[in-house]
Amino acid sequence: MAGLFTGGLYALLGLGLSLTWGLLRVINLANFALAFLGAYLTYQLATAAAVDPILTLIVIVPGFFLIGLALEEGFLRFKLDELTSLIVTFGLTVILESLIQWIWTADFRRLESPYARTSLKLGPLFVGLGGLLAFLAAALLTLATWAWLRWSYLGKAARAAAQDGPMAGAFGVNRRRLALMLAGLSSAYAAVAGLFIALNHTLAPSQIYSWIGVVFAAVIIGRLGNALGLLAASVFIAGSEALTMAVTAPGWAPLVSFTLLIVILLLRPEL
Amino acid sequence: MNSGPRLSPTWGLVVAALALAAVPALKLPAFYESFLYLVFFWISLATSWNILSGYAGYFSFGHAAFFGAGVYTTATFTTAFNVPFLLSLPAAGLVAALLGSVIAAVVFRVRGVRGELFGLLTLAVTFVLSTIALNTRLDGGPGVFLAAVPVPTVFGTPATTLYHLALAAAFVSVFAALAIYRSRWGMGLFAIRDDEDVAEVLGVPTFRYKLVAFALSCFIAGLIGGIHAMFVTYVTVAETFAVGLAVDAIMMAALGGTRVWYGPALGAVIITTLTQSLTGGESAVLNRALIGAILIAVIVFLPNGVAGGLQRRFRRAAPASAGARTSVGATAGPTASTIARVTVATPAPAAAAPLLGCVEIKKAFRGLQALAGVTLDVRAGEILGLIGPNGSGKSTLINVVSGYYRVDGGQILLDGQDIARVHAHRIAGLGLARTYQIPRSFHRLSVLDNVALAAMFGGGHGRATGRSLGRAWLAFTGLEAKADALPGELNLLERKFLDLARALASEPRLVLLDEVLSGLTPAQMTDALGLVRRIRERGTTVVFVEHIMRAVLDLADRVVVLSGGRVIAEGAPRLVMRDPDVVRAYLGKAYA
Amino acid sequence: MLEIDRLEVAHGDAVAVWDVSLAVGTRELVTVVGPNGAGKTTLIDAIAGLLPIRSGTVRLEGRDLSSVPAHQLCQHGVALVPEGRRLFPAMTVEENLEIGCYAPAARRKRAQSLERVYATFPVLRERRRTVAGSLSGGQQQMVAIGRALMAMPRLLLLDEPSLGLAPQIVDQVFEVVAGIHADGVAVLLVEQNIVQAFAIAARAYVLEHGRIVAEGVPADLARDPRIREAYLGQQ
Repeated sequence: MAGLFTGGLYALLGLGLSLTWGLLRVINLANFALAFLGAYLTYQLATAAAVDPILTLIVIVPGFFLIGLALEEGFLRFKLDELTSLIVTFGLTVILESLIQWIWTADFRRLESPYARTSLKLGPLFVGLGGLLAFLAAALLTLATWAWLRWSYLGKAARAAAQDGPMAGAFGVNRRRLALMLAGLSSAYAAVAGLFIALNHTLAPSQIYSWIGVVFAAVIIGRLGNALGLLAASVFIAGSEALTMAVTAPGWAPLVSFTLLIVILLLRPEL
Repeated sequence: MNSGPRLSPTWGLVVAALALAAVPALKLPAFYESFLYLVFFWISLATSWNILSGYAGYFSFGHAAFFGAGVYTTATFTTAFNVPFLLSLPAAGLVAALLGSVIAAVVFRVRGVRGELFGLLTLAVTFVLSTIALNTRLDGGPGVFLAAVPVPTVFGTPATTLYHLALAAAFVSVFAALAIYRSRWGMGLFAIRDDEDVAEVLGVPTFRYKLVAFALSCFIAGLIGGIHAMFVTYVTVAETFAVGLAVDAIMMAALGGTRVWYGPALGAVIITTLTQSLTGGESAVLNRALIGAILIAVIVFLPNGVAGGLQRRFRRAAPASAGARTSVGATAGPTASTIARVTVATPAPAAAAPLLGCVEIKKAFRGLQALAGVTLDVRAGEILGLIGPNGSGKSTLINVVSGYYRVDGGQILLDGQDIARVHAHRIAGLGLARTYQIPRSFHRLSVLDNVALAAMFGGGHGRATGRSLGRAWLAFTGLEAKADALPGELNLLERKFLDLARALASEPRLVLLDEVLSGLTPAQMTDALGLVRRIRERGTTVVFVEHIMRAVLDLADRVVVLSGGRVIAEGAPRLVMRDPDVVRAYLGKAYA
Repeated sequence: MLEIDRLEVAHGDAVAVWDVSLAVGTRELVTVVGPNGAGKTTLIDAIAGLLPIRSGTVRLEGRDLSSVPAHQLCQHGVALVPEGRRLFPAMTVEENLEIGCYAPAARRKRAQSLERVYATFPVLRERRRTVAGSLSGGQQQMVAIGRALMAMPRLLLLDEPSLGLAPQIVDQVFEVVAGIHADGVAVLLVEQNIVQAFAIAARAYVLEHGRIVAEGVPADLARDPRIREAYLGQQ
């Protein structure tokens, strides 16, 4: 059961990454650091203002949307390709990590909230509220994103622009505005992921890196730009990890996702 | 890569190494030795990373994996098996190299894994290895203590020994980088970075070159890993397999310049010095942020790093090539000396058997039959024009003959030998070369090196011979004044001539020209036609695809017309163009 | 409708089109023919805003198009059917058509436009949910034309619609183009296939090597030796 919920978190973290990589050809490694920034901000605001953590989204999400806009503006202006964007966002990750550490120190922080403490009883199982919410949010957002891409005009325009940019432009698609919007959206997703990280996990700056591998694996396995695929892959990976942990020692869990990632990259390099 | 500087860098390196080796004798405060150790440490890591990733363009994010392999090899050998520390070092290097070779052998076979995918894959390898280390007896969790392992003391304290070992590792890595940079191997790696497919077609053994470069890079990483294990004396998985290590190495190489042998070392010195001067308390954290910011600034604004900026400065200082706007092709023709130096292909007498024979060649793409059974002959020493309306299959035919596409059926006989199933990179060695409609030069190699590369790998020559042959070919095409320029600085006609020189440098018997005249002004076209004739005078057979009819009528001895994937006419140009079938193919029924 | 004056377009440092002047009247079907490499696609791409213009002017209904950003051109009544179709390969037929009327004005008429396109190309109605990349060449050409029609253009730009198609399909395509013209849309048709193009055009230009070498009424031009020269070289 825990596997399912961890999968939800993977999907939340990967959603922004999958979108920008699939539709904008930018690999935004900083998505993870952003999510953690969001997590820390949630912690700070919820603790300082003594409000329900979920309410902090009201402030954080728009702010992150703007951050996303600014980032994409930079990518467009400097015409960064995929590999360069990977390196640049690695640099950004380092900067963000340092920022986080400077403000909140390297000490572990734990957001105290009713969500972490409550468990619901679903049939014979006890389910942590925080984890359940994370999964529900993931399911909701991925479904919404998928549906938006599939059926809305803007979503179709985004897909068209990714397949043949100039032709989409020839029929009226303002690619620049679209790119900015998608980037802003991705960062907003990172903010949401941050909320649930704060609810369910202890925060430390070094934690940023521990998610990178798994989420990348999920994004690639689920195919770039495919929200539902991401969700499925995330759940699958999280489930395999849980299984591995149950069968062998917990330490072996990461092996699953990375081996899968390597295999997929070798067998289907045309993402 | 220009011709090397006057002073030999090798001696400079040796002198520097000796000088640095003497530093401990100065009995300075321990801080200096530690600082220098760190500098050597990072020089080794950054330079070794650069050997594959910088030179060949395959950015690995997994350097930490091989570093870690070396760390844990030494840790395990010295503690569990009581192997003497010094002996464990080559083992550390070898284990890392072996690991790297196995991975490379698999990954480099897959064509699609380049660029960012290679980066991700190598990143994944780091995580896999760290998991394995964490969960097996290699580490198991608590880390490995090495304090009890004896370190031989030659010049004083163990710290000094480690200092010298690190210095040795740094020296080895920089020396290797320099040696490779000046070798055939290095030139091949640079070509791979610019355009791997073209490099392969020219005969560069891409798989082998990449594999050995990667193995060497891993060896050095493992070596410094083993040394470092003893330096820290307490090894943990988290610290060893840290992704940040790989990023730091990349950043130093990028800052210093990935395309030069001393770039990564330069970057390592700069960053380590900066880091040291910014340590202490609060600023330690911000200093990481600063480094991140530097990385971003460098990648965006200085794609060639500090070294690249320096190189550009020096090139501008050099006198601009005489007559920067010399019209190319104005030279009357090859001088006697160039003919003497370049082996002339013996023009075959009107041979009975054709040089190239295509027999019923078929090729289809997704339902579209591009070639529906093409049969034609090319006679030695002729200039054959290949024409036809758009979509008739001309380019496909060129691509099929040069090995870029596989035929579905039929034979391609080069001097009687069927080359239909031969790989593209072997075809260069068999005497066939081609140019591209849009010139594909190696844009970071000098004009001379572009041609020299083809001579070296197509003709099996060494670097020096390759270079002098390159100059001869540049003279033949009138480009010798631009030998040290970069292809991006040439105009279109010059780039096409460069393409031609490169195609000729492998001494082909047959050269395929794909729309060489497209985009040229009438004056430039005259130059180009003149060059094609000179090529034939040397004895090379020419097949050229062209649309510009005036040129075809002017240049071709014989003409073959394709339409709908088949040959519909062939013969003397003017006669063929009056053939009713040909007229109908171009203009439609009403005109025949 | 469309006035082009001394247009010059370059690819990098290679000048592809120079000193080209031509005009298309409000309800005219004009064709530009020429051999391969003459610069026909460059010309069309420049008009459609896909390539930058080095010098000269392009006026649509009096308005200078060079000041209009590329993605707004379709709102001025220009739609492009590019060389090689250039559909969005992973999207369905209907989605491709829908992108055609992305611009606000056209989007309001989406339902009617779709109906009209399906009426013109019944095959597409059957295949509306098929992924565009898996269609045959002829069907793709229909989708490309349909997509342009969805934009409700007053001027349709067609770049070598006959490329890569079997002769019977080419006949169908040209029938459709003639039909579109009959409905009142001005058409600029760039083609290598002279017979088909001359059959439906009111006026024609001959482009060779980036320059206009002849212009006039197809019936006259057909006998003009300059056409033969352009395609087949000096006789």
